[in-house]
Amino acid sequence: MATRLGLQKWFPDFFNKYGVYTVFDLMIKYIKEGRIKVDRSSHPELATYHDPCNYGRKSEMFFGHGYFKEPRWLMDQCCENWVDMYPNRHHQFCCGGGGGSWLTPYNKERVFCGRRKVDQIKATGAKLVVAPCHTCNDQLKKSLKKEYHLDDLEVKYLWEVVADAIVTA
Amino acid sequence: MEQSNTPQLIELGRTRETILRDIPDGPDSCLTCGICSGRCMATGIDGFDTRKIVRMAMLGMEEELVGSRWPWICTMCGRCQYVCPMDIDILGLIRTIRSLRNQDDVPGNLHKGIMAALKTGNNFSIPKDDFILIMEDVAEEFAEEEGFQDFKFPLDKKGANVLCTVHGKLPFANTDDMKFWWKIFYAAGEDWTVPPENWEGVNWAIYTGNDEAMKTMVGRIVENMEKLEAKNLLLPE
Repeated sequence: MATRLGLQKWFPDFFNKYGVYTVFDLMIKYIKEGRIKVDRSSHPELATYHDPCNYGRKSEMFFGHGYFKEPRWLMDQCCENWVDMYPNRHHQFCCGGGGGSWLTPYNKERVFCGRRKVDQIKATGAKLVVAPCHTCNDQLKKSLKKEYHLDDLEVKYLWEVVADAIVTA
Repeated sequence: MEQSNTPQLIELGRTRETILRDIPDGPDSCLTCGICSGRCMATGIDGFDTRKIVRMAMLGMEEELVGSRWPWICTMCGRCQYVCPMDIDILGLIRTIRSLRNQDDVPGNLHKGIMAALKTGNNFSIPKDDFILIMEDVAEEFAEEEGFQDFKFPLDKKGANVLCTVHGKLPFANTDDMKFWWKIFYAAGEDWTVPPENWEGVNWAIYTGNDEAMKTMVGRIVENMEKLEAKNLLLPE
């Protein structure tokens, strides 16, 4: 997001000279063009999707489009059984790891900020949570899982879900 | 949790001119409704309260805000701003407060990482030769997997369709996590490349409010696009 924001602010001409893909656009393009084939049975377990603030709410605020539909379409292609958390999309709870907090010494605070996220995930009963953003993924996989004893919860990147669902003809 | 030493008596100084009060879409239109605080995950930590931050900015309490750890506890998730009935740029306010702190006093590794990135081209100071070695190693490992035998890591390839940056933590400590995208690109038959220098995709300056550093980092991606004559940029993950 910082890159797109910076390009918009300081290098607006960039968008006339080059094409720009988000991670979502590119994965969807490959599937729609038939360049990759994915199989939903690769993920039979109940899954849920976490909207990272940067890809969702903040993209909508800063770029006029939040990536809410796109990841859900990808989830539909790669997971047999997945549900949204509540609240979701624009009102999704923050994982607690954003804004550079993963890099400050305020660890207790960061873990505390993630408590609602944990409640939300637990309420879905999901065995797999998909979090595209690297920071959200770290916060969930390396911190909240341990701190809140979510031993059976698997955390994946969205591109990890897609990569794992690829079938070669 | 640690408590900060809030002074008992504070001069409100309503007439003080401050940067914070004058930022566009700033705190002067705040209705003090408090929806922001109600939506915030950090409310209550060490007295953290978004509405108070906005109010303190309005009252000219710049020093108190800049010295406080509140702006660093905020995760900048934007849940507050998204519902603010007066559309106050709360994220901009937090970022501006952060930028006013002496950058050497920025907590944790944020500023250190930015300095490393400016000097070495990535947040973890991975030298160019090491980066190439790491990528070649992981690529070799990847090519041993079933179905990827002829995989070659497309470093420094001119005229590629897609140029990708790399998240610094991946070659630093999570090399296996790079393989997901490699697998997708391989299966899609994509013509892609990664530049050998200034490949970092993560811009920590967005968090500290350091615009100069942020611009330098973004500018390097533009330079790499020009140098490698790439057609499209995959925005950093």
